[in-house]
Amino acid sequence: MADQPITTGAPAEKKSTLKLMSKATYAKEAALRSVFLVCATVAVAGVALIFVFVGVRGWPIIQDPGLGAFLFGKVWSSSAGEFGILPLVTGTFAITIGSLVLGAPLAVGTAVFLSEIASPKVRSIVRPAVELLAGVPSVVYGFFGLIILRPIIADITGGLGFGPLTASIVLAVMIVPTIATLTEDALGSVVPGIREASYAMGATTWQTIHKVLLPAASVGIIDAVILGMGRAVGETMAVVMLAGNAPQFFKGPGEPISTLTSQIVIDMSYASGTHRTALFAMAVILFLISMGLVALVRLISSRKETR
Amino acid sequence: MAKHTCPRAGGSPLHTRPRAVVCAGLVCVLVGAMLSLVGCGENGSKADEVIVNGSTTILPIAEIAAEQYMEENPDISVLVSGVGSSAGIETVSKGSSDIGASSRDLKPEEAPLGLIDTPIAYDAIAVIVNPDNPVRELTTEQVRGIFSGRITNWNELGGPDLDIGLVNRDEASGTREAFKKIVMGDESFYIGAVILPGTGQVRAVVTDAPGAVGYISLGFVNDDIKAVTIDGIVPSEEAVVAGTYPISRILHCFTKGAPEGLIKDFLDYMLSPAVQDSIVRDAGFIPITAKEALGG
Repeated sequence: MADQPITTGAPAEKKSTLKLMSKATYAKEAALRSVFLVCATVAVAGVALIFVFVGVRGWPIIQDPGLGAFLFGKVWSSSAGEFGILPLVTGTFAITIGSLVLGAPLAVGTAVFLSEIASPKVRSIVRPAVELLAGVPSVVYGFFGLIILRPIIADITGGLGFGPLTASIVLAVMIVPTIATLTEDALGSVVPGIREASYAMGATTWQTIHKVLLPAASVGIIDAVILGMGRAVGETMAVVMLAGNAPQFFKGPGEPISTLTSQIVIDMSYASGTHRTALFAMAVILFLISMGLVALVRLISSRKETR
Repeated sequence: MAKHTCPRAGGSPLHTRPRAVVCAGLVCVLVGAMLSLVGCGENGSKADEVIVNGSTTILPIAEIAAEQYMEENPDISVLVSGVGSSAGIETVSKGSSDIGASSRDLKPEEAPLGLIDTPIAYDAIAVIVNPDNPVRELTTEQVRGIFSGRITNWNELGGPDLDIGLVNRDEASGTREAFKKIVMGDESFYIGAVILPGTGQVRAVVTDAPGAVGYISLGFVNDDIKAVTIDGIVPSEEAVVAGTYPISRILHCFTKGAPEGLIKDFLDYMLSPAVQDSIVRDAGFIPITAKEALGG
């Protein structure tokens, strides 16, 4: 099955370039192509398999509690047999929006600094540091938040310090590398002539950034923020450690809250029956959110090209 | 080094061959790894293996006991993992483990699974508060009020004007299940309580936060926190063995049918003085043999 595209598609265009090669070399080339095809197929098949598996396991949810009771149910309690994910969905978005409000300006500011202001020497220190943030395991972020940040938030909000505020602050730092790197790429791909023209007209650095570069790179920046949002929605470990995991609606920045991902982690070790089905259906919801965000990025990018 | 150069490819200007070999090799390794994983899943337990799955409360005892047992019996391997009591019971009843360690009794719906119980220790649950909290005595009724969210301030319990910071365990926790059964009865836990997935985390938060209250196994109580008296009974091993401390339970090892062969041998070892008098005690639990010792 996997060989089909090679034998039909490839030789026609490759014939002329491969004319001078020996048969052994040609065989090697063909083998190489199939190896890479296998690599790519494994990735795509992996995504498809996961989606199908999760979908099949989650599908019965539309019969048992019913889609309405599942999506809009207000109570998540496995011991009471109620599996309404509305508090978890709102929790996910509360924490995600909080982290974007805090993290996106920080990340875009970092990118502007790296791209427009920093000297090469400073840049050579700051950029690896930002990239390193992406390499820190999320459990380390969670631990940091638990030990350092939680008591501070507890003093401010009066609770135990678990809740959307703590989780959002830590997530904000975690999404900075995603947004900053992509925003820097977007700023870097602005046609150099525009920047030079702005300076030639006597604009200051701030005016150039504010009036020329950010608008010119806006589509790329929006893409970056959406991908950062995807990172925040999917983050699990740090959220489990900091959000408090109480499946209730948002009550305040210092009141515990739960999310789709953290509830899956907490419940998966013992869930069975409808409860387990509900967890798979939650995974489908996460999948759909993720697909929606990627589709949004594609849509915005293609709009930009046609403009 | 020169050995790596293939004579046929030596003169070729294309350097793709070594890369192709490496890449193909990688694919082979990956596929091989997947196959071996699948293989393991199908095989289940081997003859010289004892798999213990279950309660994270029993994990510390079972792990050390398994290590010592394996030192004495080098050709046998005992695999211990803490997945929670419910998962432990599930895996042993499905046959993917040999011993299901559980810190709770069987539920009625688990009764027909054909599991045989070998009790291995007593465990008591202590209600813990911050050491700076002056509240030292609670009744079961007050504890129930706190955890159901009816009592929200320490001044209702003779303490300072301080909000109660409620720390609960996740529903997979055997400790939570025992606490719910023994203390909560028909009342449900307050939904706004912080839920933490581990004894250590509960203890760390209560250590840190002045208004916090939580519950952990007596074996994990240390000097960083204060265990309150329940109905006037100090949580102690003596009180648990005597049966006077209200919040206590028995730790179980469930087997599918009566234990035999290696499984029986390992369970006998768990009940021997080598485990009961040192490992179980060191972990802060009370040996199941202590009652007989006290009685006789």
